[in-house]
Amino acid sequence: MADTVQEFVFNLTFPFTRTLGTTLSTFSSALAQGQIIGVRTGGRVIAPPLEYDPDTAADSGNDWVRVGPKGTVSTWTWVPEPTNLHPLDHAFGFAFITLDGADTPMLHLVDAGSESAMAAGMRVEAKFKAPADCVGRIDDIIAFVPAADPSPSEGAGEPFVAPEENDITEMDAFCDLQYVDNASPTTIMWAKALMEGRIIGQKCPQCDRTIVGPRGMCSVCAIELDESHIVEVPGRGVVSNFTIVTPTPYPGQTETEPFARCSILLDGADAVIAQQEILDVPVSEIRVGIHVEVVWAPENERSAADIDNRSRGSGGDIIVGWRTTGEPDEPAARYLDRMM
Amino acid sequence: MSHQPVAIVGIGQTHHKRKRADVSIAGLVREAAQRALEDANMDWGDIDAVVLGKAPDFFEGVMKPEMYLADALGAVNKPMFRVHTAGSVGGSTGIVGSHLVSSGRHKRVLSVAFEKQSEGNAQFALGGGKGASIGAGGAFAPFIRSYIQRSGAPEDIGWMVAVKDRLNGAKNPYAHLKLADITIDKVKESPMMWDPLRFLESCPSSDGACAVIFTDEDGGKAASKPPAWVLATAMKSEPGWYSGRDPVNPQAAHACAQEIYKAVGITNPREQIDCAELYVPFSWYEPMWLEAHEIAAPGEGWKMTQSGATALDGDFPVNMSGGVLSSNPIGASGLLRFAEAALQVRGLAEDHQVGGANLAIAQAYGANAQFFAMWAVGSSLNPLG
Repeated sequence: MADTVQEFVFNLTFPFTRTLGTTLSTFSSALAQGQIIGVRTGGRVIAPPLEYDPDTAADSGNDWVRVGPKGTVSTWTWVPEPTNLHPLDHAFGFAFITLDGADTPMLHLVDAGSESAMAAGMRVEAKFKAPADCVGRIDDIIAFVPAADPSPSEGAGEPFVAPEENDITEMDAFCDLQYVDNASPTTIMWAKALMEGRIIGQKCPQCDRTIVGPRGMCSVCAIELDESHIVEVPGRGVVSNFTIVTPTPYPGQTETEPFARCSILLDGADAVIAQQEILDVPVSEIRVGIHVEVVWAPENERSAADIDNRSRGSGGDIIVGWRTTGEPDEPAARYLDRMM
Repeated sequence: MSHQPVAIVGIGQTHHKRKRADVSIAGLVREAAQRALEDANMDWGDIDAVVLGKAPDFFEGVMKPEMYLADALGAVNKPMFRVHTAGSVGGSTGIVGSHLVSSGRHKRVLSVAFEKQSEGNAQFALGGGKGASIGAGGAFAPFIRSYIQRSGAPEDIGWMVAVKDRLNGAKNPYAHLKLADITIDKVKESPMMWDPLRFLESCPSSDGACAVIFTDEDGGKAASKPPAWVLATAMKSEPGWYSGRDPVNPQAAHACAQEIYKAVGITNPREQIDCAELYVPFSWYEPMWLEAHEIAAPGEGWKMTQSGATALDGDFPVNMSGGVLSSNPIGASGLLRFAEAALQVRGLAEDHQVGGANLAIAQAYGANAQFFAMWAVGSSLNPLG
């Protein structure tokens, strides 16, 4: 099992939000009503509208213009085999479409059935979701499809009167990202040792410091450390400093009550291992100078899945935490400055 | 070193708030940039290059925002640079902008820095997307505990800084927090967040942006309002984590200050510098940086706070703007420090103006107290005479 620690899979998910500002609020609120708009600025109509003239950075103002729903493809690319991240589950084209009444193209999809149906100059029209499903997002337009009637859109180029207040001023931007990090050789050594119930360090041949945690280098001497520099470190040490965190809520937060994370200077080591949990001391009684020893997970419950290259001594699910040894505390002043 | 003198002729910032619901990210940076252009009596077309800074992209979840913001900031067909040095990035963004002028490469450069914290969650982002994030306060609390122990400072020093900076912030129309009725009792009775740091000793989470326009000597002399002159810049880094590192008193903090003092000819910082904007996101960082930047002797920084020397009417005012404790759009926070120092020597700081300020310093730090950026600005090229 220990030999399988080769890579770490991370899942990052977070519901970011976007505030839209006046221009994009106006666009989104109109879109939710089935109306695409642009803005007339610098002698042309930009659609979708921008807050600024992209050529000069001047404010683009609020001279709104109705555009579309038909337009003309100026250029395109075909996606023959969409992935699950693409907006359609069958082959489609990404295209620049200049909507009737606009002078600049917008990027959207063309659902044309086959690549042979695509051509620069083709007339397309927006196919909206059902009105009840439109929320002001660009995918309220499912796709553009070949126009049944190529004649100009009715009302395109005419002024659009925005409401006093827009319905839509904010939008979710959900992030869902998975990535894989390969375990470094030092991380693999660290994880393997932990799985065997051992804590290892690396002793720098130049400054003689014993560094604990999967670093693979001496940051002071700027030299690489490898397997030949490994030393065994006892699972006993002293709390050198700590932080008590009042958790703020956020998506993915696992804590609701104040929790303590301690730095521990292991006997014979020169670098602390950070963010460790003491199991048998209440948060309000955490202090500098406590003698602690490691508490291992039972062998059949150990997993190295939570250890990663960036940790500075994380025990993952292998080290459950630390417990007091009962020895008298060391003087705080001797340890307090050992934050690292 | 042979380099061209650099003048600051335009400064702009947004009204900082917990959530600027009325603007997009582009609208936010443009608000600051347009105020700076107006201050400099310039238009977008007058700018030759744009420098954009912000803290980690994961704070808003917009990756590489410099690409999306290039045309919003008028950088079409012009050089555009992105800077990132964690919390010190605002300072670094100002310094990079000034270097593009001092090198003689560009005549007018716009530096902009921003953060729109309300679009994401910094605690989440700093925790690598996992639960039980200790956040910035949790990371710095042990450093502060160590400082208090080694300096023997009384516990009310942190509360005093929290009150002083908020009273200054109440005089700054752009500040996020305007707590004119704050008291020591309110600070010490506020909830403990990261022992020994209380809620009111901690910075807020803000949306905001700051912009600064640099030009050359001719441009500075021709400016319609008084310019600030960039007298010296320095950036220093050190590893964030190594055995025996002392993050209370980082080598890089000393080296950064020493380089500035040497370049300007400052031999007695406390006497010769008129005021300072220091990056103080948690109250105790005021005395810590006063010592690490050699303005106070080791162990003596807290006495400057205690005596009132760092108050707006003291002999060494610190964080006249209200500082990071009053507004914290993270990526912009460094540039806000740098801009306030410039406003002071231009004499344009209005209600938070230090009378006769001719030489000011500004500092920003970032990550694990490992990146430092600092500059000195003057009302003339030779304010020490």
